[in-house]
Amino acid sequence: MIEFAVDTTPEGIGVVTPKGRLNMSSARGLKEILDGLVSDGTSKIVVDLAETTFLDSSGLGALIAGLKAARQSGGDLRVARPTEAVLTVFKLTNLDRVLRPRDSVEGAFDA
Amino acid sequence: MGHDVVESGERRRQRAVESLGLTGRSEERFDRIARLARKVFDAEWSSITVLDGDQAWFPGAAGFPGERMARDQTFCDRTTRAGEVVLVADASKDERFADLPAVVERGIRSYAGVPLRDPGGNIIAVFCIYDRAVRTFDEEEVQTLEDLAAWAQQELVSSTEMTRAGQVQASMQPSRPIQVDGWEVNGTCVPALAVGGDHFDYAVQNGIAHLGLGDVMGKGTGAALLGAGVRAAVRGTHEAVVSGVDLGVTVTQVARRLTPDLMRAESFVTLFDAAIDLDDGYLRYVDAGMGLCLVVRADGTLDRLDSDDLPLGVLPDDHWSEQSTTLRPGDRMLLFSDGLLDLVEDPEHWWEPVAELVLAHEDTTSLLSAIVRMAVDQVQLDDVTAVAVFRRP
Repeated sequence: MIEFAVDTTPEGIGVVTPKGRLNMSSARGLKEILDGLVSDGTSKIVVDLAETTFLDSSGLGALIAGLKAARQSGGDLRVARPTEAVLTVFKLTNLDRVLRPRDSVEGAFDA
Repeated sequence: MGHDVVESGERRRQRAVESLGLTGRSEERFDRIARLARKVFDAEWSSITVLDGDQAWFPGAAGFPGERMARDQTFCDRTTRAGEVVLVADASKDERFADLPAVVERGIRSYAGVPLRDPGGNIIAVFCIYDRAVRTFDEEEVQTLEDLAAWAQQELVSSTEMTRAGQVQASMQPSRPIQVDGWEVNGTCVPALAVGGDHFDYAVQNGIAHLGLGDVMGKGTGAALLGAGVRAAVRGTHEAVVSGVDLGVTVTQVARRLTPDLMRAESFVTLFDAAIDLDDGYLRYVDAGMGLCLVVRADGTLDRLDSDDLPLGVLPDDHWSEQSTTLRPGDRMLLFSDGLLDLVEDPEHWWEPVAELVLAHEDTTSLLSAIVRMAVDQVQLDDVTAVAVFRRP
């Protein structure tokens, strides 16, 4: 199963950390959290993937949907610190072009 | 050795549980069955219990709130290990259960549990009743319990309507392999649920084999509905493709048609579309974020057919470009969905185990049968689809 840690930095950036497997059943939970952040006015979001052990297409779908929602509200969604397994999925689908993995959560919005 | 067998059995069982796609929360359709059981048996508690990792949770519960708990503190963990119906008249006098906190602290005495299985025979849950009163179960009561358990099992695993939908989806696939002029083209699809979001297709016309594989995000009915649309849209380009129109153009047209639907459904599709000239082996293809096509050359070298193009439905005004290679005599190609990636050793260097698999089979039928066996044996979590092309030496 999966848990999500949700924090907001002093700069107002939302940080979501999925801990465990992001698959079809858990992707819904991530989607709800991302939608909730955007509708509460937090449109800059970092998803910290350091503790995400597995990501399938539904997990990717939740990230893409979150990215679209964040951009529509004038913000952005960035991903940080993907594990090797997760990075493989990004690379296979070429979605690393849209969700470029960042090395750290703190620096995810630096450039 | 004994321990390994238990380990792998539990791994398989866990995958079977995950492949059900349950929410991890209680659902009315399961609560209803638990409520009925509690009433029929005049029992204090009833539940449908799923063992998930080191926890137990309750898709359905009656008489108690159904909070998640540690798996090793449950009756159902022990019933799962027993693998058969367990009837306990007085747990405090039964050495299998006497040490459970539910017995020692909460005073549970009687328990009846029936393991629930998926079509592969894996135990995916336990249906049970508990009471603080000591009691026995007569033959008729056991029968009733098993009837209710069968209902719960059906509700967990599938419904007849979904089975029918699965048959319709399977009927949309090409019915037989292509075998012409030293070429074999063949495909298979094993959905994780009754229906899936993967599809494959192939057909020959004008000496050109047009083939493809698509994978809609997610699995199950929603993905299957979108997948049927993708298949139809790609089929709509068939005449153009076999007449030589650039695949970058045809896939971009498909994307223009599908993107509004995909955006509304918050979904996307990875797609691989290819055309092979059966006369000279010239292969044109578009890889839309699939990245999982391997050519094993006659001399043993490996070529991955991929690109930098995105899946369909991610960006509104994207475009796709055609690439090419040649399949020479003795070359073999395998195109597959990411469900297979889950099943191979070392998914980060998937081309190595996949090449071994391709080389281990002399024809496409036995290769695809081996892939189906892998999917079934390991209880795959995602749809597994593959298209194989062999050119004889």
